Amino acid sequence: MERTTDADRINEIQHSAQPCFQCGICAASCPIFRVAPDFNPRMAVDEVLRTGTVAMTGREWFCAYCLMCEERCPMEVALSEILIDIKNLSANDGKVPPSIIEMMDVIRFTGKVSHASKRTEKKRRELGLPELPKPDVDEVQTIFEMTGALDRLMRFREAEVEPE
Amino acid sequence: MRFALFPGCTISDRLPFIEKSIRMIAPHFNIELIDLPFTCCPEPNSVRSFSDKTWLTMGARNLALAEEAGVNIMTACAGCFESLSMSKHVLDSKPSEKEEVNKVLKKIGKEYKGQVEVRHIQQVLYEDIGIEEIQRNVQYPINYRAVIHPGCHTLRPQKILNLDDAEAPMKLDELVRAIGMESLDYMDKVMCCGAGVRGINREIAFGVLREKMDSMMMVDPEVAVVFCPTCFISFEAGQKVVNRMFDKKYNLPVYYYTEILAAAMGLEGVESILSEHRVKFSALGMLVAKNEPEIENATPH
Ligand code: SF4
Ligand code: SF4
Repeated sequence: MERTTDADRINEIQHSAQPCFQCGICAASCPIFRVAPDFNPRMAVDEVLRTGTVAMTGREWFCAYCLMCEERCPMEVALSEILIDIKNLSANDGKVPPSIIEMMDVIRFTGKVSHASKRTEKKRRELGLPELPKPDVDEVQTIFEMTGALDRLMRFREAEVEPE
Repeated sequence: MRFALFPGCTISDRLPFIEKSIRMIAPHFNIELIDLPFTCCPEPNSVRSFSDKTWLTMGARNLALAEEAGVNIMTACAGCFESLSMSKHVLDSKPSEKEEVNKVLKKIGKEYKGQVEVRHIQQVLYEDIGIEEIQRNVQYPINYRAVIHPGCHTLRPQKILNLDDAEAPMKLDELVRAIGMESLDYMDKVMCCGAGVRGINREIAFGVLREKMDSMMMVDPEVAVVFCPTCFISFEAGQKVVNRMFDKKYNLPVYYYTEILAAAMGLEGVESILSEHRVKFSALGMLVAKNEPEIENATPH
């Protein structure tokens, strides 16, 4: 699958943030900003808008994707979507929090995000729950390969070995 | 009514008693459930942030499975509901994305056509079954003061999910009233529980939970009712972390809606599903406070 180039993606971000008139409702509605004012959703996209590059701070990963900003923006700027775009740009450069890498690895090998522990399996039997049909992990592998997830996992590992 | 149940990883692998409560109430409302080899929905924040193409294609694979089986999907987790609904929205509104995704799906012998619907169990109960029918099934009204937490990913974006009013949701309130509870309004009802950043920064995640629970506790509730397993873990097990981290003394029982519905209906076996809770109901709807066993399956990660 062809990947959108960074320039395309940044253009898209700049275009979709265009209507913003900096009223600050997004920040006022953001639960993360409320407890950690270092993360201001509007400022997190500001740099991309001004400079056309993704800031190195990695603050975009603090977004909880609660969609409050997007729901309340009077100009219908989808900030939460923009933050997803920014995170994709970072991920493409190998800049990803380790917890997300772990999650992607578990999905890659099991199709699910949480291992069913022995205790849960036992619990399911005790509760009389059916054994759920398991997804074919080869299908997940194919999707990972063809949609760029494997590349990104590799790039993260390279970035880890050679920190800047 | 026939659905493919999409319990989601959190329910099936960590909170199976919630899945049990769904399977217990379903036949009483003529809901027939089938199981399909679904993968993770995938998780709507981290996976999509890591690779949105992977997210979209895995979502499309899940949707295609239900399509093939000729049934709609009933999700039990707000995250799965949002993720699958957003995938569907992207695929249905952007033909070029759908074409790209179908090229990948073809390799694994699947195709997304766009015929399947994604529902959350709250919609099935509220819209398809209705408050009156639920009331008719209640044997033992549970008369407690409840705060409800609708959850970000059932509410927003409202124009796509269309489950309830994103700023003033009322439907889960009506559902808890139907089983005899009083639903208390509180300030930060539509606020996030903080789960989305638990893996990134615990201080911030539990700081958000503290803000949320402070707001809940202001109206002096006896229980909290949620319709999402991730929110369930945030409140149920997360409150202990908040207590330690911020010197709080929360002790609020938390229920996934169909658990207390099953209790109010007096269904056999309800004791076994509630035995994982820190504060328990008897089948007669009486709260029996118990000591606090550590809940291995439900520690917030
Ligand atoms: S709410 Fe919308 S218009 Fe206001 S600052 Fe945020 S993005 Fe800009
Ligand atoms: S989606 Fe992210 S940026 Fe927007 S309000 Fe929620 S946490 Fe803040």
